[in-house]
Amino acid sequence: MNKQNLFKILSVVSMMLLATACAGAVPTSAPSATSAPAATSAPAATSAPAATSAAAPTSAPAAGNPVKLVVLTHWGEEALLKPMQAKFEEYQKQNPNVTIEYQTVTFDQLLTKITTGRAAGISPDVYHFYNLWMPDFVKGGLLDKPPADVLADIQANYSEGSQKAVTYQGQLWGYPTEINTWQLIYNKKLLQDAGITKPPETLDELKAAACKAKQVDSSGKITQPGLILLPGWDSGVVHPYLSLLWSNGGEYLNADASKALFNSPEGLATLQVYQDMIKDKCIDLSAGMDVFANGKAAMIIMANFWRSTLQTAPIGYENVAVAPIPHGANSKSTALQYNWAYGVDANSKNKEEAWKLVKWLNTPGTSPSAPSGATPIGDFLTSALGAMPSRLSDQKALADRLNDDFIKAYLASTQTARPEPVVPGGQEVKTTLQTNIEDAWFGKKDPKTALADAAEEADRILAENK
Amino acid sequence: MADRPSATSPVLAREVARPIPQPRSRLGRHRALWAYIFISPAILALLLFALGPILFTFWVSVHDWNLIAPIPDMPFVGLENYRYILTKDATFQQALRNTFIFTILGVGANTVLGLLGALLLNSPIRARAIWRSIFFLPILTAPLALGMMWTALLNKNYGLVNEILGVFHIPPQPFLSNPDQALPSIILIAIYQYVGYYIILYTAGLQGIPQEYYDAAAVDGANKWQTFWSITLPLLRPVLLFIIVTNTIGALQVFDIVFAATTGGAETSGGGPAGSTMVVVLHMYNTAFKFFRMGRATAMATILFAIIFIITLIQLRLLRQRE
Repeated sequence: MNKQNLFKILSVVSMMLLATACAGAVPTSAPSATSAPAATSAPAATSAPAATSAAAPTSAPAAGNPVKLVVLTHWGEEALLKPMQAKFEEYQKQNPNVTIEYQTVTFDQLLTKITTGRAAGISPDVYHFYNLWMPDFVKGGLLDKPPADVLADIQANYSEGSQKAVTYQGQLWGYPTEINTWQLIYNKKLLQDAGITKPPETLDELKAAACKAKQVDSSGKITQPGLILLPGWDSGVVHPYLSLLWSNGGEYLNADASKALFNSPEGLATLQVYQDMIKDKCIDLSAGMDVFANGKAAMIIMANFWRSTLQTAPIGYENVAVAPIPHGANSKSTALQYNWAYGVDANSKNKEEAWKLVKWLNTPGTSPSAPSGATPIGDFLTSALGAMPSRLSDQKALADRLNDDFIKAYLASTQTARPEPVVPGGQEVKTTLQTNIEDAWFGKKDPKTALADAAEEADRILAENK
Repeated sequence: MADRPSATSPVLAREVARPIPQPRSRLGRHRALWAYIFISPAILALLLFALGPILFTFWVSVHDWNLIAPIPDMPFVGLENYRYILTKDATFQQALRNTFIFTILGVGANTVLGLLGALLLNSPIRARAIWRSIFFLPILTAPLALGMMWTALLNKNYGLVNEILGVFHIPPQPFLSNPDQALPSIILIAIYQYVGYYIILYTAGLQGIPQEYYDAAAVDGANKWQTFWSITLPLLRPVLLFIIVTNTIGALQVFDIVFAATTGGAETSGGGPAGSTMVVVLHMYNTAFKFFRMGRATAMATILFAIIFIITLIQLRLLRQRE
């Protein structure tokens, strides 16, 4: 072959390669639910139709046909990765035609991974997602409606609160998994040393206890904060504030989620509790969670997922105790609850297999390594993560694991806890409130202006998302 | 050999006078066409991966898109995203202010410190190559890793920097967890990372200045300051221009260091305490991937592009060497 012909062939081939590569990278519009492979097997659903609408029977490869499922979660740490992977291996043994590719990212990258993956047309089949994102996922057509048998299972075996947490526009969108509530965690020894015999029950007592337990050196530097705040983290700022706000008789949003209500006398009074403690140097805003975990701070308002960290932290787990959220003079303690759920991507080509896997994870007795009567996910949540499972039968089957004082206190709080409002634009409202509360904490705005600014912005966001 | 024309022969004259013959091959006849064919993959790649995304960004910026819905379904909103960002988005205004502060202080410090470092390394000091390597090392480190490293070093409770300050009886400083100190801390981290790169660039520029000019200045009795001001600095102008322009463009797009140093691990959302380190690209990132507002985020990208373009033009005009 002479040089001229070689160049011709090379140039044509390179252009073809480029064109092929580019074609694969261009996002395509979402295929419709009916564009899946032709049905060759009957759907597994046999139970009675649920109150909410179920997805039309989806087509799937015939039993035995090789299927690859991609599962995405934020449980990527070594201690969480292996136990979850072990469950998937059990599933693959029971279903030899299924191969599971388990992908994990950190929590802060999960939403980005889901949205960008969707835009690029490379979505996983199964997601584990934070319920606050659900409205936007539904709006974008990301989530598949669960089949009838899954809906019936959820309605029969989960508490009303957990069902509500994964319901949007009257439709259940996935299996509730992990429940988290926020409670007051305190260092027993430091409170005792400060002469405080019982944890604070009211907001006034919280203020008094934090200021009594604090320690300041001769230069005025706080050496032992009375209470830890968590600036820089949206949930770390907003969830404790909402717990205190509800416990002080205030409201976050109105009933139809069209208006922010935290800019109220109760909201201001709640923020003022923080402001007083900051002013009196009972709080060190630069001290983070690690200061409490190291046994150098008296109290913190945190979620139960922190348990596994505290179990091995220098504070000593025996020094850690949990108390309900302090409340106002005429109100009851109310914790904020948020949930996670397993759902299936509406664009998955293997929706039926994906739901089958999700149902397996949430069905008692399917995992040989799980305790009797427990679901694989319940086993994972209570052993690896130290979290509370949503399924009521798991709470019974795994009672021995949920029996320590720490988790028992959180479990008790679910009786009166309120779910974080799941509304379109919820994440943006939350971040706006976080930024303005921090502005007040750091003295950049007075509390009244901070809440007024946050409410104005929240109202706009809610209106835009209506 | 006898019939070979000599240099002055009429045969050679005729050959020279004759027009250059067109190549006989088809390849030769379509030379320009083949040239275009050969460069077409590169042009195509440039259009698809550079111009394409720019046009797509602008197109998305006049739509309301949540990144999840199919692209054909996104509603057209005209200039609404721009109107909102420029008139109502308080976080964008704060982010723009922080970005400008970061750029002005960061570029200023890198430009001056880089030059001072280069002058030092260009002078006859011992172990010059080792010093150069030491200064250049931070640029080899991934910004995310560097951000995390500095987060630990600047920690108020267990950070090494505060341990050192303690030796001099200086109380521990909150650095990244204090709104007044967070942005200056980020600027210092950025200077630490990039100054070595600029030292190397300046050093290359200094070594390109002919020694004769310095010799002539010495003969004329110029002191060191006069030599620097009248010879070194004017002849470094192209390097200076390159450094200021590229550093400004990079600084206006800062993201990674801020993201790594003020997100504090997996659970925080970035931007430092009370938004003190919120910069434009971080706000853009949050707007797109946390708030599902890709239209608004791309409008921010377009505004930032316009700002960078205008600033670069001004810099080029101001710093262009006089003809």
